Amino acid sequence: MFYIHQASCVSPQQTFTGIDIDHLHEAVNNKLQVIEPSYEGIPTGILRRMGKAIRIGVGAAMPLIKGMKTNPDGIIIGTANGGMEDCIRFLNQIIDYDEGLLTPTNFVQSTTNAIAAQIGLLSTNKAYNTTHVHRGLAFENALLDAGMQLKEQANASFLAGGVDEISAYNFNIDYLDGWYKKESIAAASLYASHTPASIAGEGAAMFLVNNSMENAMARLVALQTIHTASGNIVTEQLQLFLQKQLGAGENIDILLTGENGDSRMLPYYLAVEGVLDKAVAVARFKHMTGEYPTCAAAALWLMCKIIKDQKMPGHMIKYASAPTAFNRILLYNNYKGVQHSFMLVVKA
Amino acid sequence: MGSISAIGSSVTENRMALMEGKCGIGPLELFSTRYADLLPFGEVKISNAILQQRLHAEEPGITRTTLLALHALEEAITDAQLTSATLHGFDTALIGASTVGGMCLTDELYSDANKHENGSAYLSSYDCASVNLYLQKRFGINGIVNTINTACSSSANAIIYGARLIKNGLAERAIVGGVDSLAKFTINGFNALHILSDDKCAPFDEQRKGLNLGEGAAFLVLEKEEAVKDKKYYAELTGYCNTNDAFHASSLSVEGEGPYLSMKGALDMAGIATGEINFINAHGTGTENNDLSESRAMIRLFQHVPPFASTKSNTGHTLGAAGAIEAVYSILNLIHQEVYAGLHFAQPITGTGLQPVQTFAKMPLKHVMSNSFGFGGNCASLVFSR
Repeated sequence: MFYIHQASCVSPQQTFTGIDIDHLHEAVNNKLQVIEPSYEGIPTGILRRMGKAIRIGVGAAMPLIKGMKTNPDGIIIGTANGGMEDCIRFLNQIIDYDEGLLTPTNFVQSTTNAIAAQIGLLSTNKAYNTTHVHRGLAFENALLDAGMQLKEQANASFLAGGVDEISAYNFNIDYLDGWYKKESIAAASLYASHTPASIAGEGAAMFLVNNSMENAMARLVALQTIHTASGNIVTEQLQLFLQKQLGAGENIDILLTGENGDSRMLPYYLAVEGVLDKAVAVARFKHMTGEYPTCAAAALWLMCKIIKDQKMPGHMIKYASAPTAFNRILLYNNYKGVQHSFMLVVKA
Repeated sequence: MGSISAIGSSVTENRMALMEGKCGIGPLELFSTRYADLLPFGEVKISNAILQQRLHAEEPGITRTTLLALHALEEAITDAQLTSATLHGFDTALIGASTVGGMCLTDELYSDANKHENGSAYLSSYDCASVNLYLQKRFGINGIVNTINTACSSSANAIIYGARLIKNGLAERAIVGGVDSLAKFTINGFNALHILSDDKCAPFDEQRKGLNLGEGAAFLVLEKEEAVKDKKYYAELTGYCNTNDAFHASSLSVEGEGPYLSMKGALDMAGIATGEINFINAHGTGTENNDLSESRAMIRLFQHVPPFASTKSNTGHTLGAAGAIEAVYSILNLIHQEVYAGLHFAQPITGTGLQPVQTFAKMPLKHVMSNSFGFGGNCASLVFSR
């Protein structure tokens, strides 16, 4: 599909300032909240009006854009909930003031396209600008979009990213809907849990992508999305995906999964593990990122880093066998057991 | 195609209303808000209960937004004669759009967001994706499914995304469109920005006071040229372009840079000269800002601005549905070789000299352009050709 040249991630781990993913930052009250950077270069007046989702999205994107000689040919963002915290603030105003005269800032900043719009505004980029909001596949659609753009425009480059924040909206509402654990749990113990539900996370990961191999960090070979509740369909599709995407003699070095401590989701992850050879190392990432619709973006950042550094933190490894190679990583993730995706990422 | 709006609950009904110059904007009858007696809206005069009954959609947690989308989608699927087998194929994509999603249930959302037990039936229905996830499951669509939200240009971008999936071999056909229903969230948001008019909107009129919110949905079935053969088809999507105005979060630059670039880009892609556009379905919301910026952009791009009008004077601004509903209207222009009257216009905006079409007329049309410009500077233009 395309080459990834730069990647940037604001997450609950040290993925932005003082990058160190061996050190694991823990959840607090079952929430893995981001470590916010100092946002150098973004005027404080503008920062002040931004909700967290926009702040971290802009914070992750701007350093990548500033590092380029010319603006990317488009900005493509995936976010399920956009600036939901601002949304709830505005909502509270509507109810509290019984639809009286309200201040518009929260409304305008809460729209899901505000992240992409703000990045475009701050970099004065008049090119393609879009926001995909398809819940657990919002980021994957952003990548597909970028892939199509790069097929249509050979010499272009794009900024693609995924962002979501923890807010009263997705914490309370998803909590009521049974998606976050009722019992207090440490991220480090997440996978040993036998109860339903996971822990909340948030983050923003941005990527500069184009068709040029030179100096690339990694290559996204292929991506597939599936809507199903059936584990059989997932494994069938995975077999077809691997047949199509792996050349003769090519093997997967690492299977990175979105296993999340939710006992209801475990069967999907075990079934997928079963498709691959027992020799393939299995790794997990949601103890670092928490669970949220666009966490695959943070997972992609991790894959790029692992390929670049040719090593992986021990805390990510599932079974005793550590990986022996770090060149071909398959990501399998699902959101709420109904939206599934595969991504094959390889050394450039 | 399928379409539901304040002026009709099918493509045919919508067309009849457009031909008659019927305005669907007026007092609210079904939706409850403090602004019910103060502002006019383009409300679909069919209650949720009736929609649920007619559509056999009585699952708990289903929102009005989903119901309107379902209504339009069913019409489009029937019109395109898509079989179950086709819908279940891995090569049929569904690309929808919404800005409101389930937030039309403002009170329930407030309640669910603030309590710690006993959530409502709508817990998984609030986001924009909930609409398309329901449709995907109900129709068993197995191709790429996506939801786009770029404010008022959302469903124009859904149409573009679907077209590109086909162009890039990721789908054989794409069902594309968008929906939005009235919500306290958007009513209060737009009101706080002082851009709602207490009169029926008057696009491109010097005395325009703002927009009227509307609701509705539309879906179109896109297939590639080679697949069409002897199947009936309505028009060809020959050009499209998405750009960003990059000026301000909620208003367009005075010279309409984003609109200019998206219109020009769509024309360039269609490979046609400005003089070959026969009609423009303008974004024309009736706000001071949009209509002036759009006018300036049209004047800058076209030596002679072609006939144009905004159907938002009939339907109100349907937000996430606007791009798709207006695409349907643009295609109606082409099928029937006719243009519809822009309503409530009296005087051109000072300095522009532009007047929208004001009476229904039959007219030879080969290429029609449709514009959608939104918050965040998200601009999109589409060109449909005979």
